[in-house]
Amino acid sequence: MKIEVSQEKLNKALTNVSRIAVGKVTLPILNNALIRVDDKKVSIITTNLDMAIIDFLPVSSSENGVITLPAKLLAEFISNLPKDEKVEITSKNNKATIKAGKYSSVINGSSADDFPELPEINEKTAVIYKIDINDFKNSINEVMIATSNDLTRPALTGVYFNTINNSLHIAATDGYRLAEKQIINKVENEISAIVPASSLQEVLRAINDSIEEIEITFNDDLVRFRLGEIEIISKLIDASFPDYQKLIPKENNIKVSLNRDELLRVTKLAALFSRSIGGSIICETKKPNLFSVKSITNEFGENNSDIETTIKEEGKISLNSRFLIDALNSLEESEIDLEFSNSLSPILLKNKKNNKYNHIIMPLNS
Amino acid sequence: MYDVWQNALAEIEQQISPANFSTWFQDTSLISTQDGMIVIGVKNTFYVKQLRSRYSSLITTALKNNNVEIKSLDFEVKSPTKNKSRSREITTPVDIKKRIKTIKDSRNTSLTTNTGLNSKYTIDNFVVGSNNDLAVSAARSIIDSPGDRYNPFFLYGGSGLGKTHLVQAIGNELLKRNPNLKVFYTPISHFYSDFIDAVRAGKGKEFNLKFRKLDCLIIDDFQYIVGKEKSQEEFFNIFNDLYQLNKQIIVTSDRLPSQIKTVDERLANRLTWAGAFDLQLPKFEDKCAILRAKAELLGAEIEPEAIEYIAENVNTNIRDLEGEFSTILLMSEVRGLTPLELINKGAVNVNRPTKLPSISSKQVIEKVAKYYQLSIKEMCGKSRVAHIKTARQVAMFLLSKELKLSTNKIAAEVGVKDHTTVMHGIKKISTDLKLNFTLRDQIEEIKESIYG
Repeated sequence: MKIEVSQEKLNKALTNVSRIAVGKVTLPILNNALIRVDDKKVSIITTNLDMAIIDFLPVSSSENGVITLPAKLLAEFISNLPKDEKVEITSKNNKATIKAGKYSSVINGSSADDFPELPEINEKTAVIYKIDINDFKNSINEVMIATSNDLTRPALTGVYFNTINNSLHIAATDGYRLAEKQIINKVENEISAIVPASSLQEVLRAINDSIEEIEITFNDDLVRFRLGEIEIISKLIDASFPDYQKLIPKENNIKVSLNRDELLRVTKLAALFSRSIGGSIICETKKPNLFSVKSITNEFGENNSDIETTIKEEGKISLNSRFLIDALNSLEESEIDLEFSNSLSPILLKNKKNNKYNHIIMPLNS
Repeated sequence: MYDVWQNALAEIEQQISPANFSTWFQDTSLISTQDGMIVIGVKNTFYVKQLRSRYSSLITTALKNNNVEIKSLDFEVKSPTKNKSRSREITTPVDIKKRIKTIKDSRNTSLTTNTGLNSKYTIDNFVVGSNNDLAVSAARSIIDSPGDRYNPFFLYGGSGLGKTHLVQAIGNELLKRNPNLKVFYTPISHFYSDFIDAVRAGKGKEFNLKFRKLDCLIIDDFQYIVGKEKSQEEFFNIFNDLYQLNKQIIVTSDRLPSQIKTVDERLANRLTWAGAFDLQLPKFEDKCAILRAKAELLGAEIEPEAIEYIAENVNTNIRDLEGEFSTILLMSEVRGLTPLELINKGAVNVNRPTKLPSISSKQVIEKVAKYYQLSIKEMCGKSRVAHIKTARQVAMFLLSKELKLSTNKIAAEVGVKDHTTVMHGIKKISTDLKLNFTLRDQIEEIKESIYG
């Protein structure tokens, strides 16, 4: 095997793939990156058996062959080479010789036969979606905040992709809050799949300025994200996601329009006082025109802020301030709607104009 | 059906390396054998491909040897958590208190026998995670065939990570299978004090003989051999004799033999003949698993949130983790509150300063820069490039959490304008930590490299 490539391109590819190959795993070969040259097509692959990252590397010249090399060592070596150097990697008998100008080294690799074979997408039955990269990035960030890290409830550790009335939605919940967004208005194929949050983290990380669109392909137990030269394949979480549409409150008698930044400011103020009691704050609507946020603790004292708005119905609800802050940070518009019906049912937050994003928080009972 | 699969697994295990076996066959199950159509359940789709292409024939042969009729072999994803998913009923505080009380009463004291082993250490109550699975699979293979493949078995790792537990478990399990085996466990310090006593009493020979009759010798805390040349020589002789007779030798230490200064090179070499196995600091998930197992063992009911809280806040070792856990259980009994209520009230302070080797801010910055493959100058510069910025923020975060430096001091160390930038950085990382698994792993790894 032989490849010739610029340090910059190789470094970028290795940084992309090497992240998942540095875990301490049972199978030592998983710490290696597989480099394969097949008819001028060069791919660098790593996997941790939950997901795999494949980078198709554009090279100036190549010879067929395959080898696996310790990913971290290789990435560190290449990243320390001068930026404009041309790197040449040749392999023989599971040893790779890396030459770059005055620098050269031999890295002991191991046979590619031991490297796990990657599962393949069945292109015929697969469901494919294409999304603008910025929409994808923002949407995932807005929803992923609500994922849980409780491994005893696997369904909640991922983001749920599902179709409702021919539009594609994503959702995540940790049992205390739920974030949901419509990401494609009209799609032809239906889907219902949970993608691990950890895999999505890697997808987000692989995004760079030169990428415009992401292609997401779902198969039975598998999802593939294709962005630029990178492909990320991940398992899907084998569990059923709660029927969350039922949780979104439809009829709320208390509806308030608020300025997002103002509400964020008063929530942060109130949160200061509620630290010792788990961040619990109380939101109250008072006729004719006051929305008040307060927190009281014996230890520090109390805080009370009012925002002027139109109030038609009076009510009171107690919330976790951290969840409210997260939710407000995920809303895009400066004017937002806040809705709830009583102190025991969930509160709904959404943008005033664009109604694609819903964020729900369960109240605290106090 | 289950038994057939266990037999088949045992057969497969003989034919492939332990690393391969534990990676590919752990969590597999036999779902159906109807009409010769075999369906095997595996963890996720990555495993399907691998098992089908590499291990199909092995599985077929193993099943055939167990008289299973095979027409076709297929694999299906069946996550193990799905079957064992615990009931998520909400337990009332009263329940929990009652249960804690009952376990406290029923807990019995364990016995020490003349083997030096403590029977409370068993292989079944050793929690296996990614930090120790290799060592455990080696231990299991020793239990199956002592003195064979992993002889000598050298186990190393920091204090409180379960070395003693694992080696005593091997001893106990060997005895359980064959009560006639002569197993002896001793910390090295007892070994040499006994040796000195024996020599003084003119019974050096008897001492030597006693050890040579053993079938399995377990030496704990080998690092304390430092400077005991005569004892070392004696140990070396015993070691050689036992090794010649294919008797199992098990040695634990907090570091590799080559890193113990006064250990003879010959001995150091021999100890790692069959490889050195390490126990590492558990990751967050492993810590949760350990606490859950501990709770189950004690029969105590504790809220998942409380477990996560403890796991997140104890970062030193498993002993501290279990210690903190017991303290909380005890406090919850005394105060009449559930563990989570206690934590929410702030009655528990898990983050108490723990004794760690002293480190300098320079070391921290160096390690962080190295980990992210940046030069110190690059990292502590003005660059706003995302990954450099993150590295810088991680450095700030660690300086603040690990060294408790003031934000002003940190600003000077990492070369940012003022303390508000530092505060922002620390806050950013703390928040990200909650959602970002990779970042959490990275920080754990950096910490390991700093303290390691």
